[in-house]
Amino acid sequence: MSEPVIVLDNLSKSFGNVHAVEDLSLQIEEGSIFGFLGANGAGKTTTMRMLCGLTHPTAGHATIEGADVWKDRYLVRTKFGYVPQRFSLYRDLTVLENFRFFGGAYRVAGAKLERRIERLLRVIDLQEKRNTTAQNLSGGMRQLLAIGCALVHDPPLLFFDEPTAGLDPVHRQQIWNLLYDLSNEGKTIFVTTHYMDEVERCTEVGFIESGRLLARASPRAMKSSFRVRLLELDVEPLMPALVRLRDVPELLGVSLRSGSLRLYAQEPEKLMARWRENWPFPDVRLLGERWVEPDMEDVFTAYSQGYDGVLKKSAL
Amino acid sequence: MKWPAPGAIASVAYKEFLHIYRDRRVLLLVIILPPLFTVIFGHAFESTRRTGVPTLLIDRDQTPRTARFIEIISKDKTFDWRMPAQDFQGESDLIGNGVKASLVIPAGWTDSLNKGDPKPLPLYLDDSDTGTGESVEGAVQQNLGTFQAKERDLVVESLPEDVIELGKKLPVDVRKQFVSLMTAWTTESKNLYNPNARFIDYVVPGVIGLILQLLTVTLMACTIARERESGTLYQLLVTSLQRGEIVIGKMLPYLVVSAFLVLVIMLVSRWHFSVTFYQLPALAIVCLLFLLCSLGLGLLISAFSRTQTQAIQFSVFFLLPVFVLSGAFAPLEQLPQAVRYISEFFPLTHFCRAFRLVNMYHAGLQFYFNDLVILLAGAVITFLGAAFLLKRIEQ
Repeated sequence: MSEPVIVLDNLSKSFGNVHAVEDLSLQIEEGSIFGFLGANGAGKTTTMRMLCGLTHPTAGHATIEGADVWKDRYLVRTKFGYVPQRFSLYRDLTVLENFRFFGGAYRVAGAKLERRIERLLRVIDLQEKRNTTAQNLSGGMRQLLAIGCALVHDPPLLFFDEPTAGLDPVHRQQIWNLLYDLSNEGKTIFVTTHYMDEVERCTEVGFIESGRLLARASPRAMKSSFRVRLLELDVEPLMPALVRLRDVPELLGVSLRSGSLRLYAQEPEKLMARWRENWPFPDVRLLGERWVEPDMEDVFTAYSQGYDGVLKKSAL
Repeated sequence: MKWPAPGAIASVAYKEFLHIYRDRRVLLLVIILPPLFTVIFGHAFESTRRTGVPTLLIDRDQTPRTARFIEIISKDKTFDWRMPAQDFQGESDLIGNGVKASLVIPAGWTDSLNKGDPKPLPLYLDDSDTGTGESVEGAVQQNLGTFQAKERDLVVESLPEDVIELGKKLPVDVRKQFVSLMTAWTTESKNLYNPNARFIDYVVPGVIGLILQLLTVTLMACTIARERESGTLYQLLVTSLQRGEIVIGKMLPYLVVSAFLVLVIMLVSRWHFSVTFYQLPALAIVCLLFLLCSLGLGLLISAFSRTQTQAIQFSVFFLLPVFVLSGAFAPLEQLPQAVRYISEFFPLTHFCRAFRLVNMYHAGLQFYFNDLVILLAGAVITFLGAAFLLKRIEQ
């Protein structure tokens, strides 16, 4: 196992009585793609902003390559690139002008900067668009440009706040391929996302809810944190069945997946055995049943909805 | 904290310059408005005298003597004389007659003059603006004086021979006294500092200052607020840029643009209004310090505002009292002492004072040194304040 690049030690941030982040302790190894997962308002962006030195921790501390993210923030800022949630480059500047500005801002200058810009333009495939203003780029191209600008000082660490939000699948794939290449070059990547298929692409996943870290494991280990199997039913008609099943007290939750209903229950076998003997909903026809393995979306649902009954003890 | 690096400042300045250059509408405004405003304001404030005040003249006496008076007073440019119309409302109904004043020569006025008991001329004045009344009354008095002197000469000329002979019997010194009393006593005035009494020469620094204050504060106020609104501020703050570099870099392009505008306004004043400028190096220093102070103020407002809308609102609220209280278009001495203390807080006040001391009084540095120090202090305080407020964003 390699050296941890980022170390969070009881990192906390409160705004008055609101605890946005509470006692977050975490280590992220060099070269990993760390996926930071959580519902909106769970504390992902606040954590990321503390790590970027944009807001100070109210308790605890964090280091990047050994330097404190708040006290040594001017030093730390040379070590990472940051791609925020919203497109935050200058729309009235061209691709090249944006690159040159951020190059200057990171104190990369002269021939070295020009060489690096050429290389990055190739990497993000925007050579043809170098003189186009950012506002005339498509959403995907803008995001690629934002990533390019975050790489202009060749940092060992990259923060991405929902890098693929609102992008089409082709650009999402392009951006993830870029992330793999960067990871392959040895860069550490810290990424927040809502897309479950993207979580599967991370080497490590941390799950945060209400400012607390609930689980931290590889995606595979995350999925095996389910104590039970999940029951999937084919029923007709679908929507009345969904509404009925939601009211069953033994069920923690029901979700609709590809025309079938997926049930989260503490003891699904018992429930099914009972239903085989006596199906309680006369107006709903039961067409079939099967057992499925949980995927990342189930993990996300279970953690964010607090379905503790289906989960093993914390995977921290 | 390290010293600001020139390379980093240049990056920010170039980016900021591109923002100005790309925003063509604002650019057009910035280039066209200052010379246009200079011409308009220059003409607006060319003279302080009131002219063409619509005044009703009612002659109820109709004698050769009143005709002589009317001939004199009708040459005065203060008035735009009107005669009673068909629907005459009575001399005291000024708005009904559409005039600002009405002068009545009452019936029997000539008679009363002849009888040694001159009747006063009724004069109705609209003094709602606390100025017109005084001007009109003053002008009427002056014309009455001229008329009176002429009438006196007529009387003296038509005196019978024996009265003249009788007069010659008076002692010489008494006769000389009479001669003195019969001529108008005068002053020999010499206008210093603005010998041609051109108000435009006085008001030019006001015009320059007003336009620059308007542009620098509002444009500058938007710069940081714009970055905050578009989300680029965080992106900017996570780079290796130091706050000082951001602040200086943002200010530089606006300093260059506004220095260029000072030049344009001065050239327009020179060519169009024939205003002469003296001691150009001293004027340059006065302008530079004023610009720095104004840009600093804009930056402070910018760092303080959440959105561009807020920045504009704050700017307007700041600029409004400045225009009224800074002495740009009227002497500060018109204001009560207590209010003048407030004026001292505005950079425009010190700019106008220093500019006039240099350009009109050709005064030495010792006369406006204080103003320069205050402008410099204002610049330093506002820049430090802006840098401090930027620090608070990071909390």
